[in-house]
Amino acid sequence: MTRIPDTRPIVDFHEVSKWYGNVIGINKLTLRVPAGVTGLLGPNGAGKSTFLQLATGQLYPSQGRVRVLGQSVWNNSSINRQIGLCPEQDAFYEWMTGWDFVYTSARLAGLSRSAARDATERTIESVGMTQHQGRAVRGYSKGMRQRTKLAQAFVHDPRVLFLDEPLTGTDPVARHDLMTIIQRLGNEGKSVLVSSHVLHEVQSLTPNIILLNHGRLVAEGNVRDIRDLIDKHPHHIVLICDEYRRLAGRILEWDDVEGVRVLAREKGLMVETHKPDAFYSRLPTLSLEDGMAIKEVYSDDDSLESVFKYLVNK
Amino acid sequence: MPIFDQGYQHWKGHLSGHAWRWLAVTRHGVRIGMQGRVFRAVLLVSLLPAVCLATALCLWGLAERKSDLVTTIVQFLVSAQILSPGVVDDPRHYRLEIWTLCYNFFLSVELTLSMILIVLVGPNLISQDLRFNALPLYLSRPLRRIDYLAGKLGVIAAFLGLSIIVPCLLTYALGLMFSLDFSIVTDTYRLLLASVAYGVVIILSAGMLILALSSLSRNSRYVALFWLSIWIVSNIVSGVLETTQQVQRRNAHFRQVHLAQQTQAGLSREERRRRMDALRAEQEAQMAEFETQQLEASKSDWRPLVSYTANLSRIGRQLLGTDACWEKLSEVQPSPMRKRFVAQWSGPRYPWYWSAGVLAGLFGLSACILSLSVRSLDRLR
Amino acid sequence: MLFQFEGVTKTYGSVVALDNLSVTAPAGAIGLLGPNGSGKTTMIRSLLGLTRVDRGSGQVLGMDFKHRQLDIRRAVGFVPEDECLFPHVVGVEFVTYAGELVGMSTKDAMQRSHEVLDYVGLGEARYRKVESYSTGMKQRLKLASAIVHDPQLLILDEPTNGMDPRGREDLLELARDLVHNKGMSLLFSSHLLPDVESVCEEIIVLGKGKLLTEGNIQQLKQLHNRSFEVRLKADARPFAERLSALGCGAQMRDDSLLVQIPEGRTQQLLWEVAAQERVQIRNLRPQRSTLEEVFLKALEQA
Repeated sequence: MTRIPDTRPIVDFHEVSKWYGNVIGINKLTLRVPAGVTGLLGPNGAGKSTFLQLATGQLYPSQGRVRVLGQSVWNNSSINRQIGLCPEQDAFYEWMTGWDFVYTSARLAGLSRSAARDATERTIESVGMTQHQGRAVRGYSKGMRQRTKLAQAFVHDPRVLFLDEPLTGTDPVARHDLMTIIQRLGNEGKSVLVSSHVLHEVQSLTPNIILLNHGRLVAEGNVRDIRDLIDKHPHHIVLICDEYRRLAGRILEWDDVEGVRVLAREKGLMVETHKPDAFYSRLPTLSLEDGMAIKEVYSDDDSLESVFKYLVNK
Repeated sequence: MPIFDQGYQHWKGHLSGHAWRWLAVTRHGVRIGMQGRVFRAVLLVSLLPAVCLATALCLWGLAERKSDLVTTIVQFLVSAQILSPGVVDDPRHYRLEIWTLCYNFFLSVELTLSMILIVLVGPNLISQDLRFNALPLYLSRPLRRIDYLAGKLGVIAAFLGLSIIVPCLLTYALGLMFSLDFSIVTDTYRLLLASVAYGVVIILSAGMLILALSSLSRNSRYVALFWLSIWIVSNIVSGVLETTQQVQRRNAHFRQVHLAQQTQAGLSREERRRRMDALRAEQEAQMAEFETQQLEASKSDWRPLVSYTANLSRIGRQLLGTDACWEKLSEVQPSPMRKRFVAQWSGPRYPWYWSAGVLAGLFGLSACILSLSVRSLDRLR
Repeated sequence: MLFQFEGVTKTYGSVVALDNLSVTAPAGAIGLLGPNGSGKTTMIRSLLGLTRVDRGSGQVLGMDFKHRQLDIRRAVGFVPEDECLFPHVVGVEFVTYAGELVGMSTKDAMQRSHEVLDYVGLGEARYRKVESYSTGMKQRLKLASAIVHDPQLLILDEPTNGMDPRGREDLLELARDLVHNKGMSLLFSSHLLPDVESVCEEIIVLGKGKLLTEGNIQQLKQLHNRSFEVRLKADARPFAERLSALGCGAQMRDDSLLVQIPEGRTQQLLWEVAAQERVQIRNLRPQRSTLEEVFLKALEQA
């Protein structure tokens, strides 16, 4: 996946806090979201919706400063031309047809009539709703509604997109199509922030994440970099080899290996180590040793699920 | 094994047959209904008329035995013109009538209290299930729609039965004990059956109606408003219609009397007084005539049918036979007053099967609405 | 045999929901997949006897679903997809009522209700009103009310919709435990393919009311014999070029490499090149199609 070499932050939070009465939503959050697709993760109540509402100017921070594309978002309607939001709530003007809905959004964003018409056609085509665009929204299935919602978010070609749970309720076909669209939007140089609970989807979209918990920033950046930094949890690396017991003996000679578990059924080993780098660099020579041909090596640990679990459950 | 599995355990118990499944729904509804404090208070209040009825029957039983305990009370009632002396002299002859009238009064009070009970507990029955989408949970269990609806009707039946039917039975037993005279049973058993039947009619009619209304909206407040409008507003409208008609007839009737008063001038005092007396007597006679006419007219008057509770009362009066009781009690009155007495006390005399028709129509309409609103899940989402 | 459909057809007006569907499902955990409008909901409803089919016959747990619907529902537990609640009760009363509606006596239902609430992990929350529950708790409550009468078949319709990762993990763990350790059969209908994969062994794929494919997941995910997925620590391009020079096929896919080893050689070739180039191989696995690919291919073939 190519990364656009634009390192200016698109969304810039500086020591932002937001509370509702006594209840804290976001607590002293300092964050810069770069260009490209970024995943926004966190358990329920972590402050993801508050974050999105602050970033789109729907809420005013109790403390701190929010900037998008260098400008303040509060009370700044002109910035909305550059921002697209696909909210989580399922609220439409039910009597409108799909085409009307997206066209109205385009017009409201400031496009002229002809530009809006073209944009609407293009966008509806790209989300795959051309067949149903003439029907009223009240007759749409959940997947069709999601696609229409996504369409209105980028019909006006914004530079920044905020997508809140864009794939709920969609079947695998729609999911596949919509993920392709989101990736394409990211590749075009837009900044796309996707908030989702479904970790494997975020994982297929992007390796860059922002993790919130209890209103605070827990981690941000590339998943693998984050994983490397989590010292408390040793890495679990699986090696499949015919002579797995002999391999275990050899591996235990190394200092940085903390534990080896035998996976008899898969004919392999699960190795625990705090220094994955050193471990991996020794593998090629080890495999070429007599009889130690390593057939498979993988680590489930690198996944977003494990990172999430380690960081949130501690 | 010393350590026991804390996980999921299998269960091999007994599952009951299908016939009593609706009872689970009823029990659940009753439990939820009793959670409301206002409702519990009103339920308690609705049991008070039963106490009054029991007292009345006991007093009558004692009066029949000419017991000293009640002589003062009876004399008081006679002097207040509530009981006429003729009745007190021969109480046994008028036993059925007095019991009937006591029951009639009790049931009319209970009718109003039932309407209040229903407005407190009825609207929630189905509208909350629709609002919280409980129907898939119900229908995916071995429960048919009819079980569900019968269970919900059972909730109404439980509460109304407690306030109407159970007191009827208990006070009957009490009145029996205070009279110590088992010939009462042969006289009045029909009254007992009739009052229970009336209770059942109220339960079925009002119960089905409130269930149908409850199934139309997810907001129980609208249902409560609708029920109140059916009860109170229809009463008011019916009353207005009847009153306007009565005033019209009265004006038409008394127009003739007016004309007679014109020729008063130029007469001696003696003659004037005689004329005035004659006039007054004529007025009285005309009044009595008017009232009897009114009674005759009410036999074909459709206006009371508009009021829902009036229909129920009509059926009640028919079942209990109150109109016949009034006729019999009027025998005690002096002859010229009899017709007026009956006219004053008995209700509208239109045919009971009109009311029965209205109630049956409402019942059918409710059943249709219920079968349409509480749809099975056999439809495309 | 869990359930069997033979030539089942169901139309709603002009829409054909099930089109001459014939499928046999073995006992165990079965995933039900299909795009929207493929007839999954209709199929589940006909299993429960909530929908009358126009043609065809079928049986669930040996009982004909046309005539023995009430008996079927006694042996089946269903967790619906939408938000459903019996209102104005606390958690325990909810599950007890659910048991009473199946025919359990109140005492049995109460005892059993506490047992299953322990199992799904609703501790003290069971004494609170159900309207105050979060989404995850409501799903667990629905699961508890579905297993209170110890059914033989549990049907889960999109159970993890809208739940956060922890909740999802817990629910799938419960489902796995019920299937693998407690001998309950499961019909799992979901759009989230990894969830289906983590719980079920067999799948049934429907499309436009017809059966597209069915079978064991591992068998459907073919193994490509000579194809491997490789991920390196650093940039993979020089590595790829070296491999191509040695006669392997090498394509970049996202941030990993798809390598085809030529005949006569094994993965050792990759280790040799890695040792020479001093790169770290972080991931080396034979290429397997994902369940998503199986699904999409089945749809295309239809």
